[in-house]
Order: sequence, then C-alpha cells, then structure tokens
Amino acid sequence: MAEFSWDVRSPLERALIAGPYGAQGDSGVALTEIRNFDLVQVMARRGKAGEMIAAAKARFGVAAPETPKAIGTSDASLIWSGPDQFLVLSKGGKHSIEALAPVFAGSASLSDQSHARALISVSGDKARAMLAKLSSIDLHSDVFGVGAAAATSMDHTSVTLWRGADRNGQAVFNLLVFATFAESLWHTILDSTAEYGVTIGHSEEF
Amino acid sequence: MAGDQANRLTSGGLIDRSTALSFRFDGENFLGFKGDTLASALVANGVKLVGRSFKYHRPRGILTAGSEEPNALVELRSGARREPNTKATTAELYEGLEAASQNRWPSLNFDVMSVNQLFAPIFVAGFYYKTFMWPAKFWEAIYEPAIRRAAGLGRAAGVSDPDHYDKAWAHCDVVIVGSGPAGLAAALAAGRSGARVILCEEDFVLGGRLLANGGTIDGLPAAEWVARTVAELEALPDVRIMTRTTLFGVYDGGTYGAIEHVNDHLPVPPEHQVRQRLWRIVARRCVVAAGAIERPIVFAGNDTPGVMMASAMRSYINRYAAAPARRIALFTNNEDGWRTAETAIAAGLQVAAVIDARPDVSPAHRSLASKGGFPVLHGSVSAVDGGKTGVRKISVSLTGGARAEVEADGLAVSGGWNPAVGPTSYHRGRPKWRDDIAAFVPDGVPPGMAAAGAANGAFGLGACLREGFEAGAAAARDAGRSGNIGSMPAADDEIFSITPLWHVAGKGKAFVDQQHDVTASDVELAQREGFQSVEHLKRYTTLGMATDQGKTSNVAGLAIMAAVSGKSIPETGTTIYRPPYVPVAIGAFAGHHRDENFHATRLTPSHHWAAELGAVFVDTGLWKRAQWYPRAGEKDWLESVTREVKAVRSGVGFCDVSTLGKIDVHGPDAGAFLDRVYINAFSSLAVGKGRYGLMLREDGIVYDDGTTSRLAEDHYFLTTTTAKAGLVMQHLEFCRQVLFPELDVQLTSVSDQWAQFSIAGPKTRDLLQEIVDPAEDLSNEGFPFMGAREVKLRGGLKARLFRISFSGEMAFEISVPARHGEAMARNLMIAGEPFGVTPYGTEALGVMRIEKGHVAGPELNGTTTAGDLGLGKMMSTKKDFIGRVMARREALVAPNRQVVVGIKPTDKARRLRSGAHIIPKGETPGPENDQGYVTSVCFSPVLDQWIGLGLVERGRERIGEIVRAHDPLRSEDYDVELCNSVFYDPDGGRQRG
Repeated sequence: MAEFSWDVRSPLERALIAGPYGAQGDSGVALTEIRNFDLVQVMARRGKAGEMIAAAKARFGVAAPETPKAIGTSDASLIWSGPDQFLVLSKGGKHSIEALAPVFAGSASLSDQSHARALISVSGDKARAMLAKLSSIDLHSDVFGVGAAAATSMDHTSVTLWRGADRNGQAVFNLLVFATFAESLWHTILDSTAEYGVTIGHSEEF
Repeated sequence: MAGDQANRLTSGGLIDRSTALSFRFDGENFLGFKGDTLASALVANGVKLVGRSFKYHRPRGILTAGSEEPNALVELRSGARREPNTKATTAELYEGLEAASQNRWPSLNFDVMSVNQLFAPIFVAGFYYKTFMWPAKFWEAIYEPAIRRAAGLGRAAGVSDPDHYDKAWAHCDVVIVGSGPAGLAAALAAGRSGARVILCEEDFVLGGRLLANGGTIDGLPAAEWVARTVAELEALPDVRIMTRTTLFGVYDGGTYGAIEHVNDHLPVPPEHQVRQRLWRIVARRCVVAAGAIERPIVFAGNDTPGVMMASAMRSYINRYAAAPARRIALFTNNEDGWRTAETAIAAGLQVAAVIDARPDVSPAHRSLASKGGFPVLHGSVSAVDGGKTGVRKISVSLTGGARAEVEADGLAVSGGWNPAVGPTSYHRGRPKWRDDIAAFVPDGVPPGMAAAGAANGAFGLGACLREGFEAGAAAARDAGRSGNIGSMPAADDEIFSITPLWHVAGKGKAFVDQQHDVTASDVELAQREGFQSVEHLKRYTTLGMATDQGKTSNVAGLAIMAAVSGKSIPETGTTIYRPPYVPVAIGAFAGHHRDENFHATRLTPSHHWAAELGAVFVDTGLWKRAQWYPRAGEKDWLESVTREVKAVRSGVGFCDVSTLGKIDVHGPDAGAFLDRVYINAFSSLAVGKGRYGLMLREDGIVYDDGTTSRLAEDHYFLTTTTAKAGLVMQHLEFCRQVLFPELDVQLTSVSDQWAQFSIAGPKTRDLLQEIVDPAEDLSNEGFPFMGAREVKLRGGLKARLFRISFSGEMAFEISVPARHGEAMARNLMIAGEPFGVTPYGTEALGVMRIEKGHVAGPELNGTTTAGDLGLGKMMSTKKDFIGRVMARREALVAPNRQVVVGIKPTDKARRLRSGAHIIPKGETPGPENDQGYVTSVCFSPVLDQWIGLGLVERGRERIGEIVRAHDPLRSEDYDVELCNSVFYDPDGGRQRG
C-alpha cells in the first residue's frame, strides 16, 4: 500500500524566484512571500458583534478591529475585513480554525481561509512608489500609519492591505491576495517593481 | 545652410553648448544641443519647411514653441517605435533622434499632392459631404479610404509597441498645473504651509514663460529666482515636482489625469523602465496655472513658413538661442507683442518693421523704433509673399487705405493671449468673456479648482505671482494646512493693452485652423449655409477638431463667426471643452495590461502539474483550465478526448473542478436562507448529505445551479458554476444584506480555499480505497449517493468527500486545502496507477455531461426556465423562493416553449454542429418556421456518433420525430432525430452503483 506525501505548495512557489530582479544596484523594494500560515475569517452572527468582540478580547487580549485596522498581538494579527468581521492571521496552529471554534462558538461563524490566500510583504525605499502603481489607497505615513488596513483591489483583484510594524525604520506593507490570482498578480507586481530593483524572497516567519 | 546651426546665436539660451546632439530630419543629418527641442534645433539649423498641411498639402513651418503647435507634426523614431503626429515643439532632442515630415510624397520639398492647392476653391467646408454623396455605397469602399489616404497625418507603427507603460496613483492636498511664475508662487505658498503638493509641468524645464521672457522677481533675474524657488520646493518633504507631465483631464471627486513622459526624451527607455506613466492624481484642491496661449491673427498667407507667433520667436531666441529669422517683421495688436521686437534687437537681429493694428503706440516703443532704425506701420498685414523657402515680403494695408511692403525673412504675429481655459472647463463650465483683455477667462470651474495668473487672465508678471501665491495659500488652507507661508514674491506689472483684431480681409487663403486647413472663408461659408452655432461650425468645418483641439484657432474662428453673424463674441460662445488637453497614447491607458497580462488570470491548484503533463489549457473566464491531456501519437483533440472519456467510462479518471464557486453558508438560519434562494428545499437536507439546487432570478429565469451539501446543522457548503461564481456570491450577499436581513446567516467565499477533484468511473472506489484511510467506509451503505462528509486520508490529512456525479458514472468529488492540491493530483495518479487512472480535461467533462443530458452554460443561457430545462418539478410548492411568482407568468409556462431535448443526426456519420436551427421537415427555413436550435454538441464515444442537446419547441412531446438541422452559417442542412436528452444510462444505475 502506497504511502502518500501531502506536501504543501504555496500558490507562488513556481512563480517566485528568490534573489534580485529588475534594475541592478541597491534594490528599492523587498518582496517576501510568507508561507504556511493560518488564516480564519470570523464573522459575527446576527446581533452578536459585541459577544464576538468580547470573545476576541478574552482570547487575544486586544479588542478586535471595528474599523479598517490591523491589530497585532504576540502571536496573531487581527485584520479588519468588513463590518462585524475580521481575519485572524497566525502561524503554527495555535489559532487555527479548530482552535478558534470553541472561542467563538455561538458568537461568530468561522471560515478557514488559510489556503485561500497568498501573503506578500512589501518593504523598501520604493515600496510606496511601487504600491502606488497597484493601489488607489493613499499610503502616506500621515494617512496610512502603522496598523492601518484596507479591503481594496489591485489589478482588478481583491486584496487585503495593511501596514505592519516598521522594520529597520522602514514601513512594511502586507498584501493578502486570493491564491488562484496570486501568480497573475505576482507578475503584475514584478512589472511594476522592476525599475526600482527588487529583492525577492520567501519566509516561513512573519 | 542646413546642418551647421547657422542660425544659432553665439551666446545665451538655456542650452548646454558642451553637449552636441546629432539628429536626422527627413534623412538629413543635423546637430543641436542638449536643452533643444526638435523644433528649436531645426530653427537653429535654418530649417523652415517642416510639414505639409492636412488638406491642401501647403508647405508649413513652425508656428509655436509649445504643445499648442498645429503644424510642426512629425513622425518621431522609426520601426516599431514610430510615433505619428509628434509635436516637434515639445519633442526633446536626444542623440540619434530620427524624425520625418508627414503627409507628403515623394518628398517634403516636392509633394505631388500639393496640386490640391489648385483645386482649393472647391475644397471648401462640407466638400466631401457635398461631393461624394452618390452612389451611397461608394462612400465606405472607395471615397472614404481614398480621402483618408490623401488627407492625412502620420503613419502608425503598425506593429506591437516594444515599450512598456504603467499607471500610478498619487494623492495630495494641492495639485498645481504649470510651473510658470503663478505655478511656482502657488507651490511656494502651499508647500510652506505644510500641504502635500504636486506640481505638474509639461515642459522638461521649470519656469514657464519666464524661460522666454526673463524679468526681475524679488530683485533677482528670473532664472535665478526660479532656481532659488525650485531649491526651496525640493527641500520640502511633501512637495513633488513632476516635469514632463501634462495634466490632461479633470474627473469626479477631485481626481485628475496626467501623463508623464518618463523616457520620451531618450531613444529607448532604460532597461526595466517605462516610456510613459499615466497618473491618477487625487487632490483636495487644484490650482490651474497653465498660462495662456498666444493667438494668431488670420490674414492671407498667415501659414507661410517663417510666420511665427511672437511669443514663440522670443522662446527660440531667448531660451534656445536660435534665430527664426535674420530680419524680422512684427505684426501685433497689443503691447506684449512688442517684447519680441525688444528681444530681437537685444539678440542682434534686425527688425524690419513693426505693424501695429492699434491706433497708438507708446512713446517708449516709438523711441525703441527710432533707435533700432525700423518703421512703425499703423495697419495690418494683408498678404505674405513667400513659399516653402519661407517669407520674402509682407504687404501691409495701412490705416487710411495706403499700402506698404516690408522685406523680411520672418514675421512674428501677436493677436493677444487666450488663457488656457481647458482644465477649468472640463466639468462643462463655460468661460466668460473679458473685454479688457479681449479673451475668455475661466468660469464655472470644477469643485476645488481655482485658476491663477495668465490662465486666469492676469498677464502681468507681478499679477501672476500675486494670484499664484494667493491661490496656493487658499488651496492649502482649504485642505487644512496652516503653516507660515512667508512672504509673497514680487515683481512689476507690464502693461497689456490690446485692440482686438481677428481677421484681415484680403486675397488668398487666410487660415484659422492650420492643422485642419480651415480658412476664414470656410467659417463664412458655414454661416451662410446655416451652420451658425459654434458647435455646428466646429463639426461642419472641422475647426478645432484636430489633435491640437484648436488651441490656436478656436477663439479666432468663433470671433469671425460672431462678426459675420452680427453677434458679439460672448453671444456666440465657445464649444464644449473636453479632455484630454493633449493627445495621450492608448498604450498609457493600457499600462501593463497587454499581451498575456491583458487581464488577471486564475490558476487551479493542479495547474503546474497539468502543465508538466502537457495539458492544453483553455480560457474559461479568468481561469486557465486543462482542456485535454494529449498523448504522443494522438492526431487531434478528438482522439485525446475520446480516449479520456472511454478511460473514465471503463475505468477511472479525475478532473480538477476547483473552478466551481464555493461558498460557506453559516448560521442558524442557513437552511431557511437557502430555501429562499433555491427553488427546492434545503432546510430539510440531512447533515452529511448533498443536493442539486437550482436558483432563479427574480424574473423567474434560471440563474445558476450546483450541488450544496450540509456539513453541520449550521453549515452548508454551496457550489456554483464556474462562470457565475462571483455573481452568485454577490447575489447571495445582496439577498442576505438587503432582502433578508432578519436571517442569521453568514457567507464566505471559499473558492480559493479548496482544491477539488472529481474522480469518476466504475473503479473510483478502488482508487479511493488506496488513498483514503482504511477505517473510512466507502461502500454504498457507508457512503451512499449524494453523501458528503469529512474523511481522513492515508498520511493523516483530512479531506471532504462528496458522492456526486456529473459524468453519470460512479463518482466522488474530493477536496483538500488548496496548498495540498498539487499533491492530491500526484497522489491520485499513484493511487490510480493499478487501475489505469486517466486525468481528463474540460472537453471530456463536457462530453460526459452531454451524454448524461446534464444542462450547463449553453442551456442556462438567461432565457430558460426550470421547466425548459426539464427541472420544473424541482420547484417547491411548499415554500416561497426568489423567482417563484414571476416564473408562473403566462409566457414562461406556455406549452409551446422551447425545451431541452436530445438531438442526433439520422446519418450516424454526420457531425452535428451547435447553433444549427431546428426546422420541421418539409418547411422552408426562416423565422416563421424556426423551432429552436442546437445548444451543445459532442462526439459520443459511447454511441459512436455525434449527439447534442437543443432547445426545441415542445421538444419533449416530439421524441422520435425527424426534423431538419438547418445551418446557414456553415451551409449545412441535414436530418436529425429528437430524442431523450439522457443518452447514457438513463435509469442512473451506474452513478448509484
């Protein structure tokens, strides 16, 4: 009897070629695909938004976002995805749908989106210039500060965009894109970034 | 002499004399300098003739020094990069530039089509409409193509553009259009206040008219003030200066379109860079400081090469150190024109005469004339003697009736200035007339916009700075910025005194619109023929409809119309202003969305595995789906597809069906919700079971179908067709949020979460037992038809298994989280190897669904009812659902509706084609006898013949009837038999087995 391997393959595994891309010299943009995460859509049941928020607070120690924001905890990010709903992004199974089911029992409906998205982190001097080609959102620091989030579109594709904590003094933008669109959007991203020089990588860590 | 920059002045100019650039015009080699435009380099080389006119092929030279140029249009670059109708006046010179004149054959100097000039008396406005009316059918085939060849602009490259373009968004508090004194002052005020500022300048150098006019600001020479101001602006973190960027449109909500010529000044964009970038700028406020455009005076011979706008002459002399002529005559009706005489004298050029149409000339100018030794003639230019080699002699009608002649090789003309009212009028605002400057100024500007400086009719330098600074400060304040704006830059105001003069009567053609060859007499003719409204004038004569949008001609045209129709200019009015302000390449609007990136594509989880196997992919919506998997030696698609179908029907195969829309329906009221959106009941469905469901539109027509399974009391897993996945999600969200907000139900798309495969064929269970944990019971009892539940796979992964069949065979669909999708495909190949497992594509899937009589897209075509599809009995009578009431309308339940039926040719060897019409035997094909058509066809390996489904009037009552399939598109007509739509295993034993 054959034994089967159920290796995972990220939606960008074929398209992503780690290393430099585009213009030579100092790269203006770093693109990193974050692989293998848990992502759970939490939607309040009718009239239960308060209970859902309380349940989130008990679980994560922070209030769930009620406006377009992303709230980070030590081991999860809660990202607004619409009225009375948010996404829980984490790694390692601690906040998987199975783990969260009892937390939100009765207050919210959960839907596993762990495999439905690809996660791309964008940073570098030219990150905003490059994102301006894809997104109609104003990403100026005064407008889109750390923790700002948007449910928006890029290249006619739905995207959840949020600004994470700065890294080495530079802004970090995160894009959650639909998995089946990811490769197509990736090529558009590379087209838009090539002039700045890109460092491409992937990571198992946020 | 051409080629030696003989007309380059020995000093001055904003050119870099240390960087010589070689270029070619019409095959001849020339030199210019960095900082030149193509036009200024041609001027420096003494080239006067640069093009032939649109209709009459008259020789034309350079009229202006800016983006309003009507004449000096060239084909820039060659091969795939050839750009027709490029303005030499804005094309930045680069090393190796190649340009060619347009609309001439065989050469610019000797143009055969210039014989058109001899026929000029008949080429009047409306000539084509009047002349080429009969026979009507000749218009499209003969007349229009011939006219287009004769009257033309440049030639498109005709091949794919090798360069890339992109699009970007920008956001700011204040966008400022133009970097002349008003624009720079506005940027200073807004920038100092802390506002986020974008300054757009279409030129490659900042300064606007200061570059040509000079002047003194804050005690500094203009150039130094510009440098100091730009340095201050560049030091502000939130001020972005965009040169080579034209703001071309004003859209709703403070959105502006701009085109940035990122690399048009280079022969080829550097690697990885785009040629142009289209900007969408979102701004709270906009200051239009786009300046004004000097307007010509219409007189006979005003299109002779060497006749140039007075301001353009100043630009060529002061900015480019290039002399358009050695002995210059000036024709003006205003004070500003005199500055060209001053400039010419300062540059050491000769002034032949100044012809001033005004009654008086200032004492200062009189003394200038006497010092310069040239006459001041009161009157108007009535004719120009010259031709393709330029101006030779100018005839002047003096006030009082006498005539004079002036010998000159260049004629500068100033008829006054028209504020650039385009951007301020793009929201249908009509500019208003101001008598004191004899010009239209902005009125009814779009929300959030203000005009300043010359664009607002303020022609003095001091006034430009004041208005600009105040507008910039006000815009920043409105945007909530309150920083210290410092002191306002100051300068003196020049006097602008004008006596309007539009048209000098005389013999010979006097051009209003030089790009479209519209003359003053065309305008008069239009008035005589009743085309008196400016909008009619425009369309009848094509005045202002060329690529320059009449920037130099519209006002003169309507002024002449006003004169001949006895109305005032404001009564006559302007035509509607529409974007774009300058032509914008379609490529810039496309951006990166071209070729394979024309639209986004979606890939299934097993895409790369299928590609490795050599699958042929088909575009279905945005998806790339494996259509079939050809094997070596197979001669065509039909052979591959037939093999795949036979393999499934006799063994086992699998197909990636992840493209189906998948929706999690959660909540205590999920069942009640589904009862309302489907025609059949779902609240009664047991947990662990699936059911086929059909949705109607509100009007009773079928919307979509699919299988929905109940995974828990409060959790259904709904599937849609591939085509309608997004639309059904929208529809259900609308139902949830708007129609039934009282229901406690939550929807989430999980289309991308699950990789789903259909496994079909009599050996399906054998294959599955290899891959599923041995503890799972897959027997008919343990997993009956339409069962649905989670199972454990060997190796520990959990999957969902659904016992549903589209093929008519024993079949399951299995889903795993999408990142395991490729592993699933590989493991199905391993597990199925002993059973000859065969991956199959969408063609085989389609064949099997037709053999089984399942309806799909061609039958769910937006016109069919559940009854038409043979599914009328599914409509529940025990509950309400969307479409229930409207589905009972008389026409939707009429007995003679076209309904789904099976169709097969009586000649088994004949190929059936979809689209063929069904006509009763013995009747004549035509609408009155048309009883339906063939919707879906396939070659059925089981029946060994072509079969199909069709929508046929009363089809189900006519099983066994022979009718005609009439196919006029393919010139076919043959007999077919109407039959049961389920060709294969009609009692369903195989899928239940």
